[in-house]
Amino acid sequence: MIHIENLEFTYSNSNKKAINNMDFSIKKGEIFGFLGPSGAGKTTTQKLIIGLLRNYNGSIKVFGKERNLWGKEFYEDIGVAFDFPNLYLKLTALENLKLIGAYYKNGRRDPSSLLERVGLLPDKDVRAENFSKGMKMRLNFVRAILHNPELMFFDEPTSGLDPVNAHIIKDIILEQKSAGKTIFLTTHNMSVAEQLCDRVSFIVDGKIVVTGSPKDLMLEHGRKIIRIEYLKDDKLVCEEFEMRSLGHNQNFIEILNKYEVKTIHSCEATLEEIFIKLTGKNLL
Amino acid sequence: MRLINALISDIKFQSKQGFYLVYVIITAMYLIILSLLPENITSIALPLVVYSDPSVLGLFFIGGIIMLEKGQGVIQVLIVSPLTTGEYIVAKVISLTIVSVAAASAITALSFDGALNWAVFLVSVALTSGIFTLCGVVINAGCTTVNQYILKTIPYMLLLVLPCFSILGSNLLYPLTLIPSVAALRLMLGAFSETVWYESAALILYLFMANFLLYKYAVKVFEKKTVYQD
Repeated sequence: MIHIENLEFTYSNSNKKAINNMDFSIKKGEIFGFLGPSGAGKTTTQKLIIGLLRNYNGSIKVFGKERNLWGKEFYEDIGVAFDFPNLYLKLTALENLKLIGAYYKNGRRDPSSLLERVGLLPDKDVRAENFSKGMKMRLNFVRAILHNPELMFFDEPTSGLDPVNAHIIKDIILEQKSAGKTIFLTTHNMSVAEQLCDRVSFIVDGKIVVTGSPKDLMLEHGRKIIRIEYLKDDKLVCEEFEMRSLGHNQNFIEILNKYEVKTIHSCEATLEEIFIKLTGKNLL
Repeated sequence: MRLINALISDIKFQSKQGFYLVYVIITAMYLIILSLLPENITSIALPLVVYSDPSVLGLFFIGGIIMLEKGQGVIQVLIVSPLTTGEYIVAKVISLTIVSVAAASAITALSFDGALNWAVFLVSVALTSGIFTLCGVVINAGCTTVNQYILKTIPYMLLLVLPCFSILGSNLLYPLTLIPSVAALRLMLGAFSETVWYESAALILYLFMANFLLYKYAVKVFEKKTVYQD
């Protein structure tokens, strides 16, 4: 779906490469997360793929064709939700969807059912200027998928949302994946990446540091131990055990049989820990 | 079809933002002022008032519209949609031209009962509107604030409007008609007086060409300064 090779890009007002020798591919039907701190090059990469930046070196192939050879028809199959809501403030939610939807040839989804899906149907006739930030973000999100695009770009899709609405958005993203759509997600929210992405890339200073599935990365960089908390003489005791041969570890078995166990956890690394370990930088 | 949808969008946007209400108020003000003038002055003042409507007002209106779209971020959404830059600009030109033609027709019909070549008059309003709207798109392309736009508009206004006074002077200044704003005013004045048909035809042809070239330039500048961010 997307194939990036030796990508380099420098802004015209800078002499420092914003993107430096970047390679990655995204398969059809995949949710690919681009993770990194602000200024790492996430948005620049997204803009290069979308076509808002030109004059790059290397190759960006989307739908099998070099990006700079695509015309405006490219956007028929692309959906973009930016990290802040871009709405006609004086128009209602429904008018916002109908107005932008009118520019696409593709079979459009029913705006009302999309609004219902994100809990905005009762407010369909309310002007966007009267929406809270969360409501604007939800409207912004459904507008990006209104024309049923094959490839979607979501920039911090759950930013500004409460946990219930964030959950709804994440569910919709997973539904899109199930329908065979490809999703490019830029975020610095590790938990969103963990929950949604098939693969993630960590990006720092315009370079990809590592790419892999969140699960594989977490296992690879984690400690192969389990941590158990149990009550002993009315005191909470915590102990760690090697995972290997755990079933034959008499001490561990004794704890299970003799004491009241409160928690048992494996100690795989979090994406945030891996990021800091590999880059020496924080994500914020 | 996309162009028609863009036009409908623009009309809806301008209406909801209150631009048409402003136009109605200004048109009413013009009508009141013209009704207070003696009849012999009205015939001179009317073409100038009508000319200022699509030109000066048009220039500020297009600036305001694009700045609002930039401010609300919708321009970014339009850029990543199949709508082309050309369609975006043409829709703006047509929507503002419709308003200009309607306002100019209302002012003229209600305040003037002398001889008037309506066909030339309406064409001159439309072509003037096109020239100034396209200038507004060009000026606006690199602006991020309304103040910036207003400041950048001043030299353009001087360059476009000051030469218009040449029409009052001797025929030696006729070559200034090469400036599209002068050609547009000359065409409009011609609608109110007995002008030879071939002069009007030549001016119309010239203004069509000027609109086309300006449109091409506006697309280029808009893409360079607003669409692409490199």
